[in-house]
Amino acid sequence: MAVVLLPGLLATQAGGKNRFEVDASSVAEALRALPISDLIFDEAGGLRGLVNVYVDGKDMRTREGLDTPLAGEEEIRIVAAIAGGSCSSS
Amino acid sequence: MILAGTRKGLFLLRSEDRRTWTVEEPTLEGWDVFHAVQDPRDGSLYAAANNWVYGATVQRSTDNGKTWTRAEGLGLPEDSGLKLEKSWHVEPGRESEPGRVWLGAAPGVMFRSDDSGESFEVVESLLNEPTRERWQPGAGGMCTHSIQLDPQDENLMYIGISAAGVFRSEDGGESWTPKNKGTAADFMPDDPFPELGQCVHKLLLHPGQDGRLWQQNHCGVYRTDDRGENWERLEGNGLPSGFGFPLALDHRRPDAAFVVPEIGAENRVTPDGRLGVYRTEDGGKSWELASAGLPDPGWVSVKRESMASDRLDTPGTYLGTQSGSIFVSPNAGDEWIEAAGQLPEVLSVETGEWQ
Repeated sequence: MAVVLLPGLLATQAGGKNRFEVDASSVAEALRALPISDLIFDEAGGLRGLVNVYVDGKDMRTREGLDTPLAGEEEIRIVAAIAGGSCSSS
Repeated sequence: MILAGTRKGLFLLRSEDRRTWTVEEPTLEGWDVFHAVQDPRDGSLYAAANNWVYGATVQRSTDNGKTWTRAEGLGLPEDSGLKLEKSWHVEPGRESEPGRVWLGAAPGVMFRSDDSGESFEVVESLLNEPTRERWQPGAGGMCTHSIQLDPQDENLMYIGISAAGVFRSEDGGESWTPKNKGTAADFMPDDPFPELGQCVHKLLLHPGQDGRLWQQNHCGVYRTDDRGENWERLEGNGLPSGFGFPLALDHRRPDAAFVVPEIGAENRVTPDGRLGVYRTEDGGKSWELASAGLPDPGWVSVKRESMASDRLDTPGTYLGTQSGSIFVSPNAGDEWIEAAGQLPEVLSVETGEWQ
């Protein structure tokens, strides 16, 4: 089982749980299995622009993005992009 | 109770006498709460909560904000070519419509729930409104920020969209007609009185006088007495500017209204170096400064959702500032008391009853 770790705001929205074990064959499948998937994907199914995903410490974009295959022991970490200082974020 | 939506979550303020207030710990931390309201039918709270990373949501709490449930699958259909940008305003349905909740959102869309906010369906008639291609987003996006339900006629409702104007539905939201006659759009010099495209900032229906609505617009303050067929411009006669955002009414007196003018579109701050609430008690014929107790000097801004009134026998009036203060007048503007300060930027103010 892969493990997905959520940041605090998403964990609150997931009922206070910040660690999920998922049985998935790809990063996309793992993320879509989360109860907060609507917060990290938009209504068209695209990953929101400021959501970063790391697989075993590597930005998934340096691998195969959402199609990155999972063998079952990976740690997937969701990280909000640094957006400090913008009008809407500060 | 005051519900103060802020740039950093929702704050609930409690009072027994509307003079001494206690600020509860914030809830929905990390969310921009554009609007929060209590459903008078069951006491539950709704919040239009947005996050710059995780998008637009509407959330419901049945335990005074301790826990929240997010509506499922909020979004626009793929074939619309549009994406949900922000949730702006929650309007609980009528007493006779259990479970119904309306949500106004950007870009110029609405949603309807019939299960107390568990799920929302987009209002197709507005999504596919034939005039949509002529709408323009304002500085805050193309937001559906005002939803007003006629208390008697279940088919009659009004909405305000910046910058598309005021629309009326006589069939419960199945179709819409622009209702902007007499409302100026000075920013369109080639046609300053168009059928639509006006930048309505806030729209309120008086609950006690059939067909009377008030509007704070980018270009003036207006009143209609015929369900929006004709609007009368009300500025001057004591009002230092027609530009502003918030608006509040008095549920007992249809001729009373409150606005907070700003200098103008290019300088969005209260004029004359003070936080000035202006009150009319004669339907907008004349306006007087009703700011006893408000900051002077002060250079302040009050957002479109950040003014409210309660339904008590002696109505209270409430406002929140972008500088993080909540002010309360327990006597319809005669005096103001600072209920809280040093809050984050206040985005919305509503009143309710602590459950």
